[in-house]
Amino acid sequence: MKQAKKTIDGEVVYRGRSMGQETWRRLKKNKGAMIGIAFLILLILATTIANFVYDYDTDIIAMSRDRFLAPCKDHIFGTDNMGRDIFARVIYGAKYSLFISLGSTAIGLLVGLFLGALAGYYGGLIDNVIMRLTDIFYSIPYIMIAVVVVSLLGTSTMSLLFAMALGTFSAFARITRASIMTVRDQEFIEAGYAMGLPTWKIIIKHVLPNCLSPIIVQTTLKVGANIISASSLSFLGVGVTPPTPEWGAMLSDGRSYIRSSGWMCLFPGLAIMFTVLALNLLGDGLRDAMDPKLKK
Amino acid sequence: MENVLEVKDLVVRYETDDGVVYAINGLSFSIERERTLGLVGETGAGKTTTAMSILNLVPDPPGVIAGGSITLDGKDVLSMSEKELEKMRGNDVAMIFQDPMTALNPVIAVGRQIAESLVIHEKISSDKAMERAKGMLEMVGISASRSYDYPHQLSGGMKQRVVIAIALACHPTFLIADEPTTALDVTIQAQVLALIKNLIDNNHMSMLLITHDLGVVAEVCDDVAVMYAGRIVEIGTADDIFNHTGHPYTEGLFNSLPNLKQKGEDLIPIKGLMPDPMRLPEGCSFSPRCPYKTEVCNSSCPSLQLVEGKHYVACSRLGFLKK
Amino acid sequence: MFRYILKRLVIMVPTLLITSLLIFWAMDLAGGDPVDQILPENASVAQRDAMRQQMGFNDPFMIRYLRYIKGIVTGDMGKSYISGEDVFKTFMGRLHMTLLLGGTALIFACIISIPLGIYTALHENTWKDTAAMVFALFGQSMPNFWLGLMLILLFSLKLGLLPSGGTGGIRYLILPSVTVGLSLAALLTRTTRSAMLDVIRQDYMTTARAKGASYQRVIYNHGLRNALIPIITAIGMQFSYVMTGSALAETVFGWPGIGRLVVESINKRDTPMVTGSIILCCVLMAVINLSVDIIYAFCDPRIKAQYSSKG
Repeated sequence: MKQAKKTIDGEVVYRGRSMGQETWRRLKKNKGAMIGIAFLILLILATTIANFVYDYDTDIIAMSRDRFLAPCKDHIFGTDNMGRDIFARVIYGAKYSLFISLGSTAIGLLVGLFLGALAGYYGGLIDNVIMRLTDIFYSIPYIMIAVVVVSLLGTSTMSLLFAMALGTFSAFARITRASIMTVRDQEFIEAGYAMGLPTWKIIIKHVLPNCLSPIIVQTTLKVGANIISASSLSFLGVGVTPPTPEWGAMLSDGRSYIRSSGWMCLFPGLAIMFTVLALNLLGDGLRDAMDPKLKK
Repeated sequence: MENVLEVKDLVVRYETDDGVVYAINGLSFSIERERTLGLVGETGAGKTTTAMSILNLVPDPPGVIAGGSITLDGKDVLSMSEKELEKMRGNDVAMIFQDPMTALNPVIAVGRQIAESLVIHEKISSDKAMERAKGMLEMVGISASRSYDYPHQLSGGMKQRVVIAIALACHPTFLIADEPTTALDVTIQAQVLALIKNLIDNNHMSMLLITHDLGVVAEVCDDVAVMYAGRIVEIGTADDIFNHTGHPYTEGLFNSLPNLKQKGEDLIPIKGLMPDPMRLPEGCSFSPRCPYKTEVCNSSCPSLQLVEGKHYVACSRLGFLKK
Repeated sequence: MFRYILKRLVIMVPTLLITSLLIFWAMDLAGGDPVDQILPENASVAQRDAMRQQMGFNDPFMIRYLRYIKGIVTGDMGKSYISGEDVFKTFMGRLHMTLLLGGTALIFACIISIPLGIYTALHENTWKDTAAMVFALFGQSMPNFWLGLMLILLFSLKLGLLPSGGTGGIRYLILPSVTVGLSLAALLTRTTRSAMLDVIRQDYMTTARAKGASYQRVIYNHGLRNALIPIITAIGMQFSYVMTGSALAETVFGWPGIGRLVVESINKRDTPMVTGSIILCCVLMAVINLSVDIIYAFCDPRIKAQYSSKG
């Protein structure tokens, strides 16, 4: 990607790249991150196609014939205890993991950003109260939070989403607060005030962009972590329950038949692992690409 | 008088991802017993690399000692095994570093850091070593009661004194001081410098003092070597350098010092900048900035020529200086 | 230092009170009618009312909460709806199993990750470094209950070397602790590596070598001592993870610990057990976090000074 050239008064001037362009340029060099992105795009495409083109009940359940088939030509991941093709269920079921993790991360991000910004910017009592609250949620393991939420709301996709958002927001609140506190006292903020900019404008145009990089990195990594959390909770019976083809629920099913049909446990787990791996590669790549201190 | 240190034609480069840095390009000098040599030069001239080379501590990737020899007390440093080097460091030759704030380990008590030298080299118990360490602290002007304090509890000047105590703990014969007072306040500088001078004299040590401050050199050093772009351009006694300056660069350094007696006159800096050590000019490295340069200077790099006694200058136009 | 610990303990109390209040309130809403669990199905309405009154279920929320809190201190947190056993006793009876599992997993993780992290930091950018980082990445990407299942598949079913669940001796501890420990090891390897990389660049490392310290001495006495600080911080932050991981591993391997207790209780709708065990878990974690902070202070004298002076 060439830098834009301009001529001003006969002298050639190179236009600087925006932060986004620079990040993308550095990210492209990272092979791992690129593989991660490719995998994710493939997965999203596959599950979108599967979900729009096929109807779960008619195309997948109805197609089930032979039970407990080991992986073979017709069924590359084998079939399960009800004769359903595992490969089809894995692809179809990706949407649950993706939806729940993206959704909970998004909610957690927004809530965390808001709370963290308040706490970081105003400090004092507001800071103290907010941080005590987030500390409570930060230290309780997500399983406990999920257990309580599920007791209240029953097991469903939405309650799982809510429970995981509760477990996620505290990390974002902390990061936002820390970034804001570092930036808030720096001189260019004072300059902004001196120029007469209103507070909200200062926050949005000057403070937040500087906090962006750790937040972006953390978002990517959290989506991956939440995929694992969601499937763990479903596995325990505290999240999405069978017969929904969510990966964790599929593993819970498969566990009963592990002696005879090990493949039922293998493939959904591999799906989880590779998806999270792709997200981790991307997150690490973003972290390196956005680090201003890195040479090269 | 025999030489404690002899450096001959040292060549050191750093092979980095961005290119090769020619840090030291044919360096030669020597230091006699019980004399102090001041190594003067601007930042980037290669002074710290010189010091590290003497201890053979140049970081191995990316640094490469590509040629030359270094002889300490008659022993060839560059061909020593790691074990022999470990015996030598701290024991025969010691080093004081530039930044006392980061030179000490933050999680170990200062007394123990001094005692560590003793434990390593004299193989005594750590209790006995602590006793001696307390003595060392007193010697550098710090109360022994502070031997269990941590570095963050001491001021900058005191930290540097601890660094000196560590260096001198095993009574080495040769001390390398790399800009020991640069990071300190001016008033503390004088104290620390006086302390160093005192200790050197009392213990009959030789010293290589690295600095960019000519005032410090005048205070402390017997001999002076001026370094530019990885080579020595002038070397001699302090009297030779200060009063019979031979090299245009040295002259430029003296001219750029503000002088109270010449109030109101413009400062005369040296034109231009130090050359990029990855792209050194052909011929004399100083020629692009030299007011005396001629054709000869662009094509050949001059070597040190004897002027008189111990005074050597590396300049093709020797004798043409304004003095 | 002592004052700092005291101060932390004092702060811990209101935090735990708020946490337990939230949990108690939520479970209270969710719990359903407790009387159903105690009386037989054909009990009359009058009998139900009488039972409720007798057990204090008609009292206002705050009274019931305070009574419950008093119960925590005295060790009486109610009885299980299902088994009738004392909640507190059951929890305490299974606590040591989880601590055993968590502790072994932690030791396992440290044994692998700290040497590996040091090694890769010293051999940065070689193929060994890259391979180790890839391993660490995979370890962090896999759900640990799946790892448990795969280990069972391989070691119990295919190879028949280790039991697939239950307790009884060291053999039963191996697979569960590896399951929990491996992901922890993956994270700790990366943390150790980056901590060591930072430390190696520091000036005091050069000072030590200039003293004549051997390479080994410099790495361990000087380098590792400083690198331990961020490593312990990371371990401390991961305790929450270890608890969670234990719950999953306990379920997969049928290990009778507190994690599994919570999960089983929720599946059986045993409200007092769920409430009690979650609250006790929070207390446990607060205590562990405080202990980690204290250990941390002992490792870094600068922090110790801060704690002592702030009082």
